[in-house]
Amino acid sequence: MVIDNIIAAVDVLANAHAILLMAVGVAAGLIAGAIPGFTIAMAVVLTLPFTYGMPAHLGLATMVSVLVGGLSGGLMAGILTGIPGTPSSVATTFDGFPMARKGEPGLALGIGVWSSFSGGIISAILLMTLAPQLAQIGLEFNPWDYFMLVLFALTITASLAGKNMVKGLIAGALGLLLRTVGEDEAAGMARFDFGSDALLGGFDFIAVLIGLFAFSQLLNDVRDPEMAKKSLTEQGTVRVKLEHRRAIAEILKRWPIVIRSSLIGVFTGILPGAGGSIANILAYDQAKKASKHPEKFGTGIADGIIAPESSNNAVEGGALIILMALGIPGDVTAAIMLGALLIHDVIPSPSFITDEPVLAYSIFISFFVATFMMLGLQSFMLRIFVKVTRIPMYVLASIILGFCGIGVFALQNVTFDLWTLLWFGILGFIMRHFGFPLAPMILGVVLGNIAELNLARALAITPDLSPFVTRPWSLFFMIIAVFSALFPLFQGHRDKKKSWTLFYLPAACFAVSAPIFMMGGTIRPVLATIVAGYGAYQLWRRRQNGWTFEAAE
Amino acid sequence: MERLNRDTVIAIVLLLFCGILFWTSFDIRQPDYGVLRPSTWPRVVIGILSFLSLIYLIKSLRGNPEIATAGKSDREPGIRGWIDYWRNPLWCFGLFFAYLALLPVLGMLIDGIAFVYVLMGVLGGWDGKKPLVHAYIAVLTIGSMWSLFTFGLGVLLPSGMFMDPF
Repeated sequence: MVIDNIIAAVDVLANAHAILLMAVGVAAGLIAGAIPGFTIAMAVVLTLPFTYGMPAHLGLATMVSVLVGGLSGGLMAGILTGIPGTPSSVATTFDGFPMARKGEPGLALGIGVWSSFSGGIISAILLMTLAPQLAQIGLEFNPWDYFMLVLFALTITASLAGKNMVKGLIAGALGLLLRTVGEDEAAGMARFDFGSDALLGGFDFIAVLIGLFAFSQLLNDVRDPEMAKKSLTEQGTVRVKLEHRRAIAEILKRWPIVIRSSLIGVFTGILPGAGGSIANILAYDQAKKASKHPEKFGTGIADGIIAPESSNNAVEGGALIILMALGIPGDVTAAIMLGALLIHDVIPSPSFITDEPVLAYSIFISFFVATFMMLGLQSFMLRIFVKVTRIPMYVLASIILGFCGIGVFALQNVTFDLWTLLWFGILGFIMRHFGFPLAPMILGVVLGNIAELNLARALAITPDLSPFVTRPWSLFFMIIAVFSALFPLFQGHRDKKKSWTLFYLPAACFAVSAPIFMMGGTIRPVLATIVAGYGAYQLWRRRQNGWTFEAAE
Repeated sequence: MERLNRDTVIAIVLLLFCGILFWTSFDIRQPDYGVLRPSTWPRVVIGILSFLSLIYLIKSLRGNPEIATAGKSDREPGIRGWIDYWRNPLWCFGLFFAYLALLPVLGMLIDGIAFVYVLMGVLGGWDGKKPLVHAYIAVLTIGSMWSLFTFGLGVLLPSGMFMDPF
């Protein structure tokens, strides 16, 4: 069955059209990722209008290619100019830039490229093997469970909010509210349309995303008139040739770092709210801690490039595992991918892989193929990157704003979408300026109607609310939603050594073990016992240490 | 103090916004079928948003540094300083607005080229060979994108009054 699906997916992608689109996607992603200020999410959002008229598998393959390219593009700017192209490549600059300045930019880039490739391949293999297994569990879900799952996904907003949780949560709630404008999907009644026919159809999802993310980001990039006229080339040297052989030899000598960092990346991607920006720092830190020469980190050593680059490319594999298997986005880019599925009339849900096996496997295959393409195109795109870095930011911003206009109109041939783009561009710019993070808002926009629709379905089956707490999966997601929402608070209070934080982990283990036990069967009660046992062990350790914080370390 | 006042104002605006939407939610028609009424979910979200806005207001009044907006900018005081500081984004908004207003007249191709050309001029300046280079870039980039969508993807983009006969 799996082999059949893989063959069918390869069949739909093995043609010149698909290969060309993927190559263009990877190339565009590499350039977008390489330009500081142009985020991967922005690149993926801007790709959406082009994919609208394509068949779903082609559109998604193109977007996955942009994503893979973007993840690898950040290292070019980071290593050559010292400015990370994306937040995912911040740690790459710690050793990549010093190595380039020591006269070995070709080796630094080679190590970065091959580490990205290794991380991507490891995560692609895990994606293809883990996602279908996890999706089997998803088939057990009913509307109650799915509503709670979405509710849990919404608690990610607390993590995405960063330092400013209240503003992040407000942004998330605004996103949810935005999605209620227009006809409701369950009953077809008009909501907040204020008598306008245009508002009755609701705001176009893509126009909102491009406005909030791309439009506002471009305005931010050109805010300073002097910086807007500058190009990247003024900040570093960029004439270089990749040294593949030496880079491969360096990576092979350090394969445990590649494996460990890739696994850190995949795991971070699976965790809701965490992403490449966390994974690269985490992997760098772990490599440094495990090294026999931690003092050499930051001076331009290979280990310091391998760790972050392996991990940041592995992150999206992890995020896609959760997206494909359970239908919930692990980060902003995955949320945009989820939106892409929606515009292609594919409703993401736990049964997605079962219902749309060819489409699901075509996403797996395209992730895999795009990683190889990235490797092949990196040398060529480096030359293009050199040319792009000579273009002043204001020229790039003007052109992209022009493209946004054409792209957004082309979505539905409706001028109202262009006005949506403008108003949400202004809103996004103001929100950025006032310190409101935009990522939670995107999540709210994406998940808002999915939550409402499943709530409506659940209540249509029975108005009784008890299944939300009596169904094991629903209770499970409710409990982890509560602990997930409390996690940022826990982190803050743990640093201040507040006593309640000692009980957070044991309490989470005990609470989660109850619904797992309720699921029945053989394996799950055993798993529940192990989880509860771990909670008890943690509690015992804290007691042995006299309820001090040493036990919690 | 200025920053805290700004947060307080935003919180009050958010609360007013919630109030208006809550009031408007009573205009939502209720069907005879279905258990979840169309107004229930929006009201729940408005309730959550109101609660969060209230916390934001209280924190801003208490001067909580966690919610304070980004640090002070290096702009000059007064309206003139404000306009100078936000000159580029204001130009972008204004020109995009003009681009949309003129779209039915000029059509996507001419309007798009004009928008990109003027925007590059106001952001990058008009000195030396820039007007010529900007014109070349605008025609080449928007022209290619327009061609891609029109001929490659078969999308009917607005033709405007000038290109309508063609």
